[in-house]
Amino acid sequence: MGEEEREIKTDGFEPKIIGFTCNWCTYAAADLAGTSRMKYPANIRLIRLMCSSRVDPLFVLKTLLRGADGVFIGGCHPGECHYITGNLYARRRYSMTKKLLETAGIDPRRVRMEWISAAEGLKFAATMKGFIEEIKELGPGPFNPAGTKKEVKE
Amino acid sequence: MKGDMYFASASDEEILKRGEYGGAVTALLKFALESKVVDAVLGVRKRSGNNRYDGVLDLITDPEEVKECAGSLHCAPVNIARNIKEYLDGAKQMKIAVPCKPCDARAIVEIAKRKQIDRDNVLLVGLNCTGTLSPVSAKEMLISEYEVEPGDVVMEDIDEVDGTWKLTVTLSDGTKKEKDLEELEQKGYGRRENCRRCDVNIPRMADIACGKWGVKEGEKQSFIEVCSDTGTEFMDKAVESDAIKVEKPGGDTIAERKKKDEDAIELANKCKEEYLKELREMSLEDRLAYWMRYFDRCIKCFGCRDACPICYCKKCYLEPDRGYVPGGEVPPDRLFPFTRLAHVADSCVNCGQCQDACPAEIPLTRLYTMLNDELSPMFEYVPGMDVEAVPPLIAAKEEEETLIDDINLFLAKGGEGE
Repeated sequence: MGEEEREIKTDGFEPKIIGFTCNWCTYAAADLAGTSRMKYPANIRLIRLMCSSRVDPLFVLKTLLRGADGVFIGGCHPGECHYITGNLYARRRYSMTKKLLETAGIDPRRVRMEWISAAEGLKFAATMKGFIEEIKELGPGPFNPAGTKKEVKE
Repeated sequence: MKGDMYFASASDEEILKRGEYGGAVTALLKFALESKVVDAVLGVRKRSGNNRYDGVLDLITDPEEVKECAGSLHCAPVNIARNIKEYLDGAKQMKIAVPCKPCDARAIVEIAKRKQIDRDNVLLVGLNCTGTLSPVSAKEMLISEYEVEPGDVVMEDIDEVDGTWKLTVTLSDGTKKEKDLEELEQKGYGRRENCRRCDVNIPRMADIACGKWGVKEGEKQSFIEVCSDTGTEFMDKAVESDAIKVEKPGGDTIAERKKKDEDAIELANKCKEEYLKELREMSLEDRLAYWMRYFDRCIKCFGCRDACPICYCKKCYLEPDRGYVPGGEVPPDRLFPFTRLAHVADSCVNCGQCQDACPAEIPLTRLYTMLNDELSPMFEYVPGMDVEAVPPLIAAKEEEETLIDDINLFLAKGGEGE
């Protein structure tokens, strides 16, 4: 990859990330991060679900195929699920989805899952920051119509 | 008892004469009908005359008709599991004996877990298998490589002869012609692609597993391994009523059978390695481009979905009213192949029916097997082996809840990882 192209990617590229978050933990953590005035980049759009196990692998696939650059899934720590075992199923599906993406040729790093409890506003902000950095490094998603070339520096 | 092994041959003279290896399977099926162990036998027979390249499923209730199904058709890989589910109400209304290849048996087990086939109502008479052939390419091969008239062939056989794998055809006048299997496959003939990769040769997930490995050359017998309690009961009855004659195999024959199985697995692994190596070594961009090129050929015929023995949803995600794949587009939205992939990911039994059905010749099974190969060690789950094993995406173990916080718990087991 040329030096110039690399620069374009990291400088002008603002990724779009879709986050699927559990109503009982990660969504509340995002709320906490907001009310505590913690700063993190505004590249993520959250979709609130009642449980992380509601995330069908198809949601992730559809999100990426429709042009998102990354997908985040947030759920409760094991043992703390509001529905007892929902997050455990979510972890299994997430693992499968990662492998599926890799098999088909999409970078599995574009999908990340974390356990973030309602009290962990700080962890939410830090995770977002880290994830967005990583996606910036990776560049636009393979199905992002904006593509690599279109993002031009001012 | 489970694990018991027998040499078996038919007691009936006619069946003994007609059967390729002593007619034990035909005799057992006939006995199953006569003794009312089952209500029907679902056999595969030639559609017409001596056309070995067009097999049809036949639901047989007359014991005499079972003989029509004697002999195996290597060039007619019929979709047994899907047909039971679709047209026989998943065997919920009647008991059916099903002679089947390992992939058919695995598909039946896998779909039985999803309550689409009643496993208790099917008696799986497993047949050892080292591969099947596509009818069209098989005919081409017979003409160009073997220089024989396809209609003249009365038997095919794939077996190891002195360390190399041979595809032997027998003609109506008794002459045999053999060729090196691996050489044929390099020329694009030989077994179906999924069969080359398949390492399940002895269907131990069935009730009994029948084959010829271990039987001495020239002996008219089959080697039968009993694999379940139902199988034990059935075999005991059959022996008691003198439908088949049995002998106990010696240790050397059991070892020989084991050796053949191991060699077949070795060949399968070699083929698998060959096929997937190229894809595994590709960069992610190249791999995506590779699959996208194939996906662009899709004409959205739904053939892969309709042939898949694992697919069973009444309201399919691929239909436009589900809001995922928009209607009226060819090639369809990329979600079409991705949805198929996600839905068979943990359960594909590598039967190759989707690939056979595909008019655009997209190597779908290659994609599914590649993913399944990654998932099997992760979830410690091999699809279609045990009817009690719960599919990994709908089960969680107790210890996962309390002890393990690691989000990459399964990914770490997958080997290479990121």
